[in-house]
Amino acid sequence: MSQASEREGLSAETGRAILDLAAEVGGVAMLAGRLLRRLAPPRLDGPELARNLHRMGVKSLPIVGVTALFTGGIMVIQAGVLIRRFGAEGLLGWGAGFATLREVGPILIALMFSGRVGANNTAELGTMTVTEQIAALETLAIDPLSYLILPRCIAMVVMLFMLTVYGDVLALAGSALMGQALLGVSVATFFNGFLETIRVWDLATGLIKSVLYGVIIALSSCHFGLTVTGGAPGVGRAVNTSVVASATGIFVTDYFSTYLLG
Amino acid sequence: MPPRRVIELRGITKRFVDGPPVLRGVDLTVPRGCLYGLVGPGAAGKSVLLKLVVGLLRPDAGALLIEGEDITGLDELRLHRVRARIGMLFQNNALFDHMTVGENIAFPLRRAGVTDAAALAERVADRLRMVSLPGFEDRMPAGLSGGQKKRIGVARATALKADIVLYDEPAAGLDPVTSQKIFDTLRAEQREAGATVVMVSSDIERLLTITDRVGMLHRGRLIFDGTTAEALASRDPRVDQFVHGKTDGPL
Repeated sequence: MSQASEREGLSAETGRAILDLAAEVGGVAMLAGRLLRRLAPPRLDGPELARNLHRMGVKSLPIVGVTALFTGGIMVIQAGVLIRRFGAEGLLGWGAGFATLREVGPILIALMFSGRVGANNTAELGTMTVTEQIAALETLAIDPLSYLILPRCIAMVVMLFMLTVYGDVLALAGSALMGQALLGVSVATFFNGFLETIRVWDLATGLIKSVLYGVIIALSSCHFGLTVTGGAPGVGRAVNTSVVASATGIFVTDYFSTYLLG
Repeated sequence: MPPRRVIELRGITKRFVDGPPVLRGVDLTVPRGCLYGLVGPGAAGKSVLLKLVVGLLRPDAGALLIEGEDITGLDELRLHRVRARIGMLFQNNALFDHMTVGENIAFPLRRAGVTDAAALAERVADRLRMVSLPGFEDRMPAGLSGGQKKRIGVARATALKADIVLYDEPAAGLDPVTSQKIFDTLRAEQREAGATVVMVSSDIERLLTITDRVGMLHRGRLIFDGTTAEALASRDPRVDQFVHGKTDGPL
């Protein structure tokens, strides 16, 4: 193959990839617009919302709890060397709290949530799409966005926010316990340092991020679930794409939100 | 006075991306109270036509009237009002996986405003008796055979006693006895309710025992539209071959 045709092929592939990306981003934006229209006045199914809050939130408690506890512990192990070297035990609460509340807690919990809830949501919606269950809802004069999608999106945003609060608490507890066990820093010293240095804004920053991550996971998982084609293999591809897109969206949003929120 | 023509297609054309037209200028009329059998070889456009009638797909050209109202330009909310008068059985049943059999059948009734638990249970039991699956209320769709799913799909499609009912392969995967029972029951129900029915089925022999009129699609065109007797006596070699299941012929 000549160099010219190789370059042409590369250009075509790049162009196609950009167009595909634009189509997916546009699809997510259109889904967001259609869902927003259904919020004023609210048109959503109450029992379906309650069902999703339970299965997406309550059932995520164990995995988020374990993740948060170990994350808190890891923060202390990483900081332990410096804390010991400089004898800065009093800063352990600040260091662990600052990083956990603003950054590590929200992002790790969001990634776990995306893997567990977002992937499951895409698989469910994808299966419903290829087996015409979504179409069946429409023929029963039921708006799938109001009945099926909006409750899932609201449940994901609300439950990720609440799981982040829960995870933050457990991560701090993990840090305090590990600080005592590994570094001999008492729990009281840990929380004294924490309360003296951490501002409410530090907590708020992480929680605002968790809402943004929740929106990204909700829209991404629903969009890829609703646009599945190609039967069962298509569902598998959609789950994969949804998880990758959510993770990418989370990191990009984290960068800009950290920059903007300070 | 309600219009005599319940379903009317005028020059309907439908094409999917990068493919040839699935339907090419189809004109078809289904009168009130008629059981219309839609037949044709595979990929002739039968299922697509049903999805157009219920508004799941939009035609590229032509007009589609339900009870005199052109639905081709309706927005989603107005389409919902039209769909509320239509029951549909999908080719692959489309049972809701997360609901029990009973909840699947009761679902359209609940959405239509039936809240009385006893009335719902009685209607569900009645539909299950109709498809010879009494006592299946608490079973999950995943635990059913293909034929059982099909029968539950029929039960759900008929739960509301809609004015217009569309069946896509109501007897696929059923044994001959159950298949004939389903056809006979659907015919009896249609007569009793005076419903307008369009039925797609590959089981031509049984289908033609219950239809009033028959249409045959071939390569996206409606090549025959007439009474069942006219279909059976048709001299069009394609229709003759298809309705009599002959292996020799132009198809």
